[in-house]
Amino acid sequence: MKQILMGNEAIALGLIHADVDVVSGYPGTPSSEILTNYQKLKDKLNLTAYAEWATNEKVGYEVAYANAMSGKNSCATMKQVGLNVASDALMSSAYIGNIGAMLLISADDPGFYSSQTEQDSRTFAKFARIPVLDPASPQEAYDFVKLGVEISRKFESPFMLRPVMRVGHARGICEVEENHEFNPPKANFIKNTNRWAGVPPGPRSVQGGELLNKVEQIRDYNLQTFISPKIAELKGAKTLCISSGVASTYVREAIEENKLDAEVLKLDMPYPLPYHKLNELCKSYEQVIIFEEPYPCIEEQLNAPNLLGKFSGHVHQIHEFSKEKVIESFKKARLFNDSNPYQASKFNAHSIASRPPTLCPGCPHRDVFYAMTRTFRSKNSIYVSDIGCYTLGLNQNAIDSFLCMGASVSMASGFSLAHPEKTVISTIGDSTFLHSGVTGLINAIYQKHKFILLIMDNSIAAMTGRQTTPERSNPENIDIKRIVEGCGITCHEYVYKPDMNKTLDFMKELKEIYKTSDMPIVAVIREFCVLDKERSNKLLPHKLVSVDSDKCVECDTCISKYKCPPMSYGENHKVEIDPFLCAGCAACIDGLCPTDAFVLADLGEEK
Amino acid sequence: MRYQILITGFGGQGAVFLVKLLSIASSLKGYNCIGTENHGMSQRGGSVSCGIKIGDFYSPNIDENSADLIIALEKDEALRYIHFLNQKDGVLVVNSDDKFDKIKQKHIKFDAFAKAKNGDFDIGGLNVYMLGVAMKNVENFPFSFDEIARSLEIFNPKVSSKNTQILRLAMEEK
Ligand code: SF4
Ligand code: SF4
Repeated sequence: MKQILMGNEAIALGLIHADVDVVSGYPGTPSSEILTNYQKLKDKLNLTAYAEWATNEKVGYEVAYANAMSGKNSCATMKQVGLNVASDALMSSAYIGNIGAMLLISADDPGFYSSQTEQDSRTFAKFARIPVLDPASPQEAYDFVKLGVEISRKFESPFMLRPVMRVGHARGICEVEENHEFNPPKANFIKNTNRWAGVPPGPRSVQGGELLNKVEQIRDYNLQTFISPKIAELKGAKTLCISSGVASTYVREAIEENKLDAEVLKLDMPYPLPYHKLNELCKSYEQVIIFEEPYPCIEEQLNAPNLLGKFSGHVHQIHEFSKEKVIESFKKARLFNDSNPYQASKFNAHSIASRPPTLCPGCPHRDVFYAMTRTFRSKNSIYVSDIGCYTLGLNQNAIDSFLCMGASVSMASGFSLAHPEKTVISTIGDSTFLHSGVTGLINAIYQKHKFILLIMDNSIAAMTGRQTTPERSNPENIDIKRIVEGCGITCHEYVYKPDMNKTLDFMKELKEIYKTSDMPIVAVIREFCVLDKERSNKLLPHKLVSVDSDKCVECDTCISKYKCPPMSYGENHKVEIDPFLCAGCAACIDGLCPTDAFVLADLGEEK
Repeated sequence: MRYQILITGFGGQGAVFLVKLLSIASSLKGYNCIGTENHGMSQRGGSVSCGIKIGDFYSPNIDENSADLIIALEKDEALRYIHFLNQKDGVLVVNSDDKFDKIKQKHIKFDAFAKAKNGDFDIGGLNVYMLGVAMKNVENFPFSFDEIARSLEIFNPKVSSKNTQILRLAMEEK
């Protein structure tokens, strides 16, 4: 049956068709829609299965893995940087193995579209010594989930699926199974301390040896199942391009569209590779170019003398592929001599408005950042922030540094030690605080580090697509305020109002409290996300705003410090509000403009 | 059949909606298609581009100098991505007032913001309106009115009649 699916939808459907009934993970672009879609499908088909967001990736992995130890088919989803968090569990689980299937889906982001680092999860699979499949399209993503479950059960090894953003967020027509009978295996944990609790060095070193054996078997399986049939189909050209995943699609198109004397060997399982066989194959070509993104994972496993790639400088080293880059490589390899057909000059002029990543119009974070920088001046403060929408506070100069999930709290500790004369203010979201910020707070309290922590609680994981958070799902039991209090200190609370004066007042209060404290000052600010219609519709006043041009003195406060996207200079050099962008929060009316130029728009009709 | 359409605009304008819609239209016609969507860092108001390649392609991405058609929901976003247009034969359809920069590429401009301000259609339907403008003016556009109307119906029957009306409005514009 044919269906039009986005890659992440295809993966979710693949999980169901592979009888996976435990899915746990933490949201992260570009992986988030996998679990969301699995939840939707499960509800639609009325299946008994577990599919929930975990507090972080390591927790998600461990929840899934215990099920795989017990013989069930399980899956953990995350993005590449999330795998860093889960890596501790991954490394050990590779040694121990599983009875059922353990599927790790780690979505990569070549090109840094929504990530701090590019990373390559395939190299992590290599590091952990587990097999990895690299799909090139939504169809392959679907097929590889099913294959992966098979491989994981067969070799009793965790298995990685590594889609990149251009797979997860690609949309295409897929051939999928019709009327699948969902029949997940039952759990049956069989106690075996030597295997499941093998302490070092005895049992663990045995397992380490077994793991090496498994890798050899999988290498062979890779050759028989995936590679040999493809080698048989090669026609023999001057140049062989070895590639994997989405990278191979650019190479194929570039070769076909320009009728070049080259052919492609696409490796579906880029680790573990049967390198003897592949090195041998390279000999029958004049030259071999390796195209992969983003790291040289295949290249590191091969060593034929006629290999060109990242190491030889023929292939670019960072950012995602494009046909333009493939052609540049072909030019360096003297396979192509004309001008690059995939280049056109950019329109470069004055007039294009820059749209840096920015907080949405009406987002409460903007007010908090604005009030924070007004109250605690940059010269005397260090602003540390974290991963999530509040990262976008960079735009308002409200962030000096951020590192990785949850780090803002421990980094605030560090900065407070380095700069006791400054006020260190850390900002973090609710989901991120529960992910890994809370451990930093416990550390800060027990060691009495003095800084201010603002937990910006909009009750949702907003940036990744508004997944529910522990507090949102279960507010009676989990409450950030009580968690902070449980650590033994006061948690100040402010329920956000779209009125700048109120937000400023709260910030001033914190400043007073900070003066006499010898502990972290923690505040939770109860907000909402404007995209979270369920709550924001009630909480936004829906008042459109305009600027009284007689009053506007072009002081630039709103444009350069507050930076709500609808604000821009109009033709008469006075600020104007774009009514198509304004969210109607009215936060800018009071307390922002020094001449009170913001007024309610006279609309005639309600928006 | 090979046809590549890039949609550009800013976050909240519904560029992704058009990609989904066109992929339904492709499948109805029995064409292969692959496209990409934008998720993540681009919040409301951020620059967005996404595309669909109809016919036999491998890569989901539209390359520079390759799009047959760019539908730009806003004028700055047209210029930001103009180098993706096939510089010789590609057509740009752009939502812009008279003050659109002089460019050498083939382009059709239409002030849909003014129409929305005028109350001709709801601003939420701007994306569908601009699709209609493209369908009316671009000779080799791969789908007919009926095919798109049918796709709107499949996509979301609840709002399809409103959207079909907007589409028709755009196509009847002289
Ligand atoms: S998605 Fe929500 S939290 Fe993020 S910037 Fe927009 S309104 Fe703010
Ligand atoms: S009311 Fe003011 S602050 Fe709120 S979205 Fe509109 S311009 Fe921005």
